[in-house]
Amino acid sequence: MSYKIPMGPYHPALEEPYKLDLICEGETVSDAKLHIGFNFRGIEHLAESRNYVQVIALMERVCGICSNIHTLTLCQAMEGLTGQMPPPRAQYIRVVVAELERLHSHVLWAGIAAKLMGFKTMFMTCFELREKVMDILQAISGNRVNYSMNCVGGVNRDIDDPPAILAMVEELEREMVRTVIPIFTTSTTARSRCAGIGVLTEEKAVSCGVVGPTARASGLPQDLRRAAPYAAYAEMEFDVPVQTDGDVRARLLVRALEIMESCKILRQALTKMPPGETKTDDGKFNFTKLIATTATSRVEAPRGEVMYSVSWKENSRNPSRIHVRTPTFANMPAIRWMVIGARLADTPLIQASIDPCYSCTDR
Amino acid sequence: MNAVEAIPEQSLLESIPEKLGIADSWTQKGGVYWLATDELNVRKLAAVMNECHARFITITAYQLPGDQGFRLEYHWDLGGIVLGFPFQLAGNSIESIFDLCEAVDWIERETHEGFAIDFTGREYEPLLLRQGDTPGVNLREEVKK
Repeated sequence: MSYKIPMGPYHPALEEPYKLDLICEGETVSDAKLHIGFNFRGIEHLAESRNYVQVIALMERVCGICSNIHTLTLCQAMEGLTGQMPPPRAQYIRVVVAELERLHSHVLWAGIAAKLMGFKTMFMTCFELREKVMDILQAISGNRVNYSMNCVGGVNRDIDDPPAILAMVEELEREMVRTVIPIFTTSTTARSRCAGIGVLTEEKAVSCGVVGPTARASGLPQDLRRAAPYAAYAEMEFDVPVQTDGDVRARLLVRALEIMESCKILRQALTKMPPGETKTDDGKFNFTKLIATTATSRVEAPRGEVMYSVSWKENSRNPSRIHVRTPTFANMPAIRWMVIGARLADTPLIQASIDPCYSCTDR
Repeated sequence: MNAVEAIPEQSLLESIPEKLGIADSWTQKGGVYWLATDELNVRKLAAVMNECHARFITITAYQLPGDQGFRLEYHWDLGGIVLGFPFQLAGNSIESIFDLCEAVDWIERETHEGFAIDFTGREYEPLLLRQGDTPGVNLREEVKK
């Protein structure tokens, strides 16, 4: 006999609104239906009534974790409308903040994953490390969540003392190597709790069009920082970790290895940062001289590809349309295929393994 | 650990118009390779994108002024480059490609709910946006007013 278990609209681990109707045969999940939109904010519609300054602040609020990524993608698209090229130093600063944000996101997720595994000590360790990342972001931007770093044509704040930030990053990296990475890569607890569950095959990953670590854990080597470099990523040397098992452990390993790659990128960006200006045209968007009326931009956010399509009428202060495709919007439908055949008790961890962001999805 | 080496072959890109059976060629604008022609058929396009192993990204919908209808822009990724295919809709509907491209499911549903555009040949799950039972609640001008 099959029965339906509604999980949500309050997620057992992530405390965000979304609902999963699980169809079960005994303890085994045979199918699932996802429902989102419980806190839909209509940000794309709101954007049409914001001017070129306000819209950047608005889009920073799409996500509480990767707020910088949204302004970076928007500003890159707006730069595509006017042809404004950020100076090289600004491009390096964009890389530094984007990678710190990736560290912040991955460590936060690692803590939540540890909690779901029943490893609550690790949860506290991860959150302590996350504080250190946020300290660095605060040292750079003055803010801990919405950094307000990006403007059209560059960045709002310079990094005055890159060696000081580098010292903080190196300390953080030592802590990561000492605590988080060994636990997630070699511990028996993590392996036994995560291996073989929530499998998304490569074939299904392709068919669902998943992105980011979820795709890379299913054997798809896609990363926009490498395939379509933006900011200063073309000048950075790094590997793109790929795992082929497609299970929760593979997603765990990909993120753990990406933490190390982010540290590698941060070291390079802070060491090689060129001198010079941090913005062109004083960061102003010249809406009277557009070279295109529609532009798109894509960025590799911590959870995967973010894409903005921006449409602007000449001489208008407001955009005529902004469309945002967030990574969780692409990844979440794949949860259905991950939970089919899983034990009911594993479903919270499986859902959390894609690092879903309901704030982005309910934009 | 593997490294990414996903640069699309130029020949594959150039072969797409021919596979679609159209004479037009790509124009590059705003970071996208566009193929804009009235001859495009959305279902044939989806089949060709599958054949080329392109990854579906999204559909962006625009409501055009007055009674000009809508423009839908379909985007795929081909080894790191964005392909764009605009479709002008005089009416309210276009064929669904859900059966050919599973990744399109949520964005077709969201576009249906935001703009009241009907993707024919598929069934819809209950509303995603939950603003009521009227499609077009968020972005369609007539409903907004």
